[in-house]
Amino acid sequence: MDILSHLTPMFFGLIAAGTLIGIIFGAIPGMTATMAVAVCLPLTYAFGLQNGIALLLGLYVGGISGGMVPAVLINIPGTPSSITTTFDGYPMARRGEGERALKIGIVASVFGGLFSAAVLFFFAPVLADFAIKFSYVEKFLIILLALTVIASLCSNMLMGIFSGVLGVWLSLIGTYSITEGGNGEPRLMFDFMQYYLIDGFSLLPVLIGIFGLTTVLLDAEKGFKDETGQGPISLKGGAKFKFSVFKGQLTNLVRSSSIGTFIGILPGVGGSAASVLAYSQEKNFSRDSSQMGKGAPQGIVSSESSNNALTGGALVPLLSLGIPGDSTTAILIGAFTLQGIQVGPLFIGNNIDTWYLMIIALLAANVMMFGIMYFAIRHIAKVIEVPKYILYPLIIMMCVVGAYAINYGIMFDVWTLLLFGIFGWVAHKIGLETVPLIIGFILGKSAEVYFVKSIESYGNLSIFFTKSPIAMFLWVLIAVSVAFAIYLRVRNRRQPTVES
Amino acid sequence: MESQWLSMLDVTIDFDQSHLFFPRIITWILVILLAMIVVTRYRLLVPGLKRAGRVLVGREGEFDHKRFFGTLALTTAYFYLMSVLSDVFPNTGYSFLIMSVAFVFLLSLLYVDHLTRRLFVILVLNALIAPTLAWYVLAQLFRITLP
Repeated sequence: MDILSHLTPMFFGLIAAGTLIGIIFGAIPGMTATMAVAVCLPLTYAFGLQNGIALLLGLYVGGISGGMVPAVLINIPGTPSSITTTFDGYPMARRGEGERALKIGIVASVFGGLFSAAVLFFFAPVLADFAIKFSYVEKFLIILLALTVIASLCSNMLMGIFSGVLGVWLSLIGTYSITEGGNGEPRLMFDFMQYYLIDGFSLLPVLIGIFGLTTVLLDAEKGFKDETGQGPISLKGGAKFKFSVFKGQLTNLVRSSSIGTFIGILPGVGGSAASVLAYSQEKNFSRDSSQMGKGAPQGIVSSESSNNALTGGALVPLLSLGIPGDSTTAILIGAFTLQGIQVGPLFIGNNIDTWYLMIIALLAANVMMFGIMYFAIRHIAKVIEVPKYILYPLIIMMCVVGAYAINYGIMFDVWTLLLFGIFGWVAHKIGLETVPLIIGFILGKSAEVYFVKSIESYGNLSIFFTKSPIAMFLWVLIAVSVAFAIYLRVRNRRQPTVES
Repeated sequence: MESQWLSMLDVTIDFDQSHLFFPRIITWILVILLAMIVVTRYRLLVPGLKRAGRVLVGREGEFDHKRFFGTLALTTAYFYLMSVLSDVFPNTGYSFLIMSVAFVFLLSLLYVDHLTRRLFVILVLNALIAPTLAWYVLAQLFRITLP
C-alpha cells in the first residue's frame, strides 16, 4: 500500500502544527481560517503535495474551531462562522461557565467535523463520477450555476452578481492561452502592461492580498481599538463540563451538522449562514428553546457543530467539480495548482492516494483539534490577548513570502498583493462581495474556454439549453436558486429574522 | 419555421478575434450591471461618496489616518526598497531579511498606543528575531525563493 508510506510522523506532525496555528489564528478576532491558510501557504512549497495538504487542512479545521474562543470569552466571533456562538457562549461565560461553554463547543465541533468528513468521503466520488460525463456545455453551466448560487445568497443580489462578473473580468486580463486552445493574443490591458500581465494576475497574490493585507488595512483604519471595552473573562473556577450535557442533543447535533455540510457544499455561501440557519432551526424545532440566547448549551451545540461541518462540505464541490465551496477552499485550489494538480471530476480517480490522505488528514485534524482545545483551552484562551502590533507586521511579511515565492521570484506578484490588498479595502467600503468576486476570478478563465469551445463546436447558442437533459436540469437549478433568493428577500422583509 | 428561429442564434467565432469574444460579453454585462446599480442606488450614491470624501480628509467619522496611510506608505516603501535591494543581493534573501527587520519594527511602532521602554525592547527583539527566523527556515532550510 503506497498510501501507508505517506503516513509518517511528519504527516501527522504537520496536521497537529497546522491545527494549532489555525486555532491561534481563529482565536484572534479579525483573523480567519482563510487568512491562516493564505499566510502559511509558502510553507507548503517545501513539503510536497501530501504533507502540504496535511498542514493546510489542519489550518482550515483549527481556524474554524478557534473562532469560538473569543466568541465565548469576549463576545466577538473570532471567525464569521462563530457569530451565533456568542448568543449563548458569552452569557454562559459571564455567569462563570466559560470553560464549560468552550468544551461544549469543542465536542460539538469535532462531531460536526467528523460528520462532514464522512459525507465528503461518500458523496464527492459519486458527484465526480457523474461530472466526468459533462461536456464543455455542462461544465460552463455548472460554473454559471455556482456563480448564480453565490450571488443570489449575498446580502445584496445585484452587488453579488456584479462582484462575481467583475471577478470573471479580472481573470480574463492577459493572453487567451494557446494551451487552452486560444490564439495567444493579449486583451483587456494596455501595451505597456503586457510584460507583466502576459499570463494575467496570479491567483495566490490576489487571494493573499484580499484576505491578508485587506484585513490589516481595515483594522489599521479603526486604530486597533479594543472593541469590547473590557478584558476577557477568566476561565478559572465556575461549573465543570460533563458529557451528560449532550443527553438529548443528538437530533440537534445531526441536524446542525447536516445544515453545515449542505451550506458548505453550496459554493461561496459563508460560514455565518450555516451557523445562523442551524441556530434558527434549533430554536424552531427544539422542545424548549426559551433559554436560547441567555446561555443555553443547545445554542452552542447547533452553532459549533454546523460551522465545523462546513469544512468537509466545502471540499465536496472542490474535489468533485473543481469549484471552491468557500474562500478557504479557494486558496486550497492555489495549493493544488502549485503542486501541478488540477482539481475537478478527474481528481479523485487520478489521485486516489492523495484523496485517501486528504480524508485521513481531515479526520486527524478534527481529532487533534479536539485534543488540543479540550486539554489546553485555558492556555489557548490567552491568545486573545496577543497584541496586533506584534502580529500584523509579521502577517504582511509572510504575505510577501507567499506572493513572491509562488512563481519562483517575481516581484510583480508582490505588487499584485499590494494592489489587491487596497482593492479589497475599497471593495469592502463600496459594498462589493469578496467571495463571489474571488470565485468569479478563479472560474473565469475556465468559463471562457468552456463557453467559446461550446460555440465553436456547435455554432449555435441554443446548444446551452438543448445539449442534454443535464443541461436542462442545470437551467432549472439556476432558475430555482434565483427564485429562492427572491423568496428569501420577500420573506425577510416581512418578518425579522435571527440575523437581525 | 423552427430552423429559422434557431438560425437567429447561430454564432461564428473568427479564430483571430476569438480572444475578444468572451471578454466583450463580460464587459457588456459588467457595464449593464453597473448602470443598474447606479440607477437603483442613485439616491445613496452621491451622499455616500461625499461622506467617504469627508471621512478620508478627516472632517467626519472615526478614521485613524496615521495608522491607515502609515500602513500603506510603509508597505509600499517595504516592497519598493526590497525590490531595489534585491538587485544588490540577488537570490540570497538578504534583501527580504534586511527590509523585513526595518518594516516589522516601524509598523509595530506605528501601531503601539503607549510606548514604554520595556515595550520598545520587545518590539526591537520581535523585529530582529521573527524575520531572521522566517528567513532561516524558509530560505536556508526549505530553499524557498525570497527577494
